Amino acid sequence: MTHFGPTVRGIRERLREDDRSYSVRQVARRVGIEPAYLSKIERGEVAPPSEATTVRLAKELGEDPDVMVALAGKVSADLQAIIRKRPRLFAELIRQLKEAPDEALLRVVREVRDGNW
Amino acid sequence: MIVMEDNRLELSFPEVHEAARCSIEFQRTLRIPDDGHDYPLPPGLGRFPLRHLDDYAERLPESWRERGGVIAPMHQAEALWINFDSGYPFAVKVATGKICAITGDSWVDHLNRDPQDYAVLPEQPWLDGYCVNEGVIRQFVAMPLGEGFTVEEQLTGAAVHGGLQLVAYPMKAVRYEALRSERDAWLDSGVCYAASTEAPPAKASMGLAPGGRMKQQIYDDPYGLDVWDQRHGSRCFVSLLNTTQWMTVTGTRPPSEPPTARDYTARGLPWFDYYGGDARAVAGSDKLGRLASVVQHAKAIGQEPAPDNDAIVAPHVIRVGKRRAVREYRGERARA
Repeated sequence: MTHFGPTVRGIRERLREDDRSYSVRQVARRVGIEPAYLSKIERGEVAPPSEATTVRLAKELGEDPDVMVALAGKVSADLQAIIRKRPRLFAELIRQLKEAPDEALLRVVREVRDGNW
Repeated sequence: MIVMEDNRLELSFPEVHEAARCSIEFQRTLRIPDDGHDYPLPPGLGRFPLRHLDDYAERLPESWRERGGVIAPMHQAEALWINFDSGYPFAVKVATGKICAITGDSWVDHLNRDPQDYAVLPEQPWLDGYCVNEGVIRQFVAMPLGEGFTVEEQLTGAAVHGGLQLVAYPMKAVRYEALRSERDAWLDSGVCYAASTEAPPAKASMGLAPGGRMKQQIYDDPYGLDVWDQRHGSRCFVSLLNTTQWMTVTGTRPPSEPPTARDYTARGLPWFDYYGGDARAVAGSDKLGRLASVVQHAKAIGQEPAPDNDAIVAPHVIRVGKRRAVREYRGERARA
């Protein structure tokens, strides 16, 4: 049991307070799944959907797709591909950084360099 | 600092305030007719791809390497608009060819109030072009440097920089906290706040030129110059490559050309209008207002004007406001 379904339902219901188009039926239609399936997902009666559906659902709800995919207990395909390309390097990097505080991780993020212009 | 994520520039200023973050992206769009009429806002058709310039430095001219920043591909005569997303107040300056898109003045890093040479976020959700009149802009349209179309060439007589430049300054933390307290007080009182891989490519590059006219207000700064933390700004130079250069340099294909405004409209798809409440707009720039548009310049030099420039009527205009400033069209729903 993951928190995926209840989280989706909580976000969708908050959005629906301001916009009635966030009903189960209409969200399901826009994401391309059956309303009954979305309802089951929200109640945790079925496993989280595929990565592609999860990403569409995240975008529909205005959430970060990476966070939603992780909440669904998965690692996105593009991240898997990045790791597979240089497995030793990325495995070591992730292990080294696993306990690092957020500020330290942010320093590893690559900045867009500003030059002379 | 600025990082790139999913073809967006993500700016953050943790040294100023933990909430001082904003996103800036460049949206592909229709080129509106350049026929003297004022058109509503065209849709967003997805982000332009962005890459770190440094990753392709050896395939780019030396002068480009000094700029840093990012690269993006544009088809000739393709249009773009800039999408801002921020909950924290920012002052953002935008220039093309190092000419300010709001005043027509030469680039300086700092902010100026008279005339105002920056947009204020989050009040300003988008910027589609050059501010030529109060409430009217001329669309950003990509043209090759060296043919006299770009704003830079028309105002300086030189084709040196091209591309697009921006700098963002967050609101000072103290002022932000005060503003937040004021807003919380309003909410508490029950008032609803609505709110090639071998030889380097040719040096020719793309610049931006004034296209068709569009209804869009650049909002006056309601706070004043003192609230902006000009000790902490982040700049970015966006170098524009034509599609051939892009494929040569990056080895990837750019997005296909967007549909024409006529084809898009004929399918009954929506245009947009933004309602920013009672916010005042800055006056347009006389300098920018006097410039020749792409079609006017083409005629002046005896070239065929851009194709697909027939006047159109946009019958389906969606009015959007502060609470849901979305104008990207992806199938059934408009969003950004």
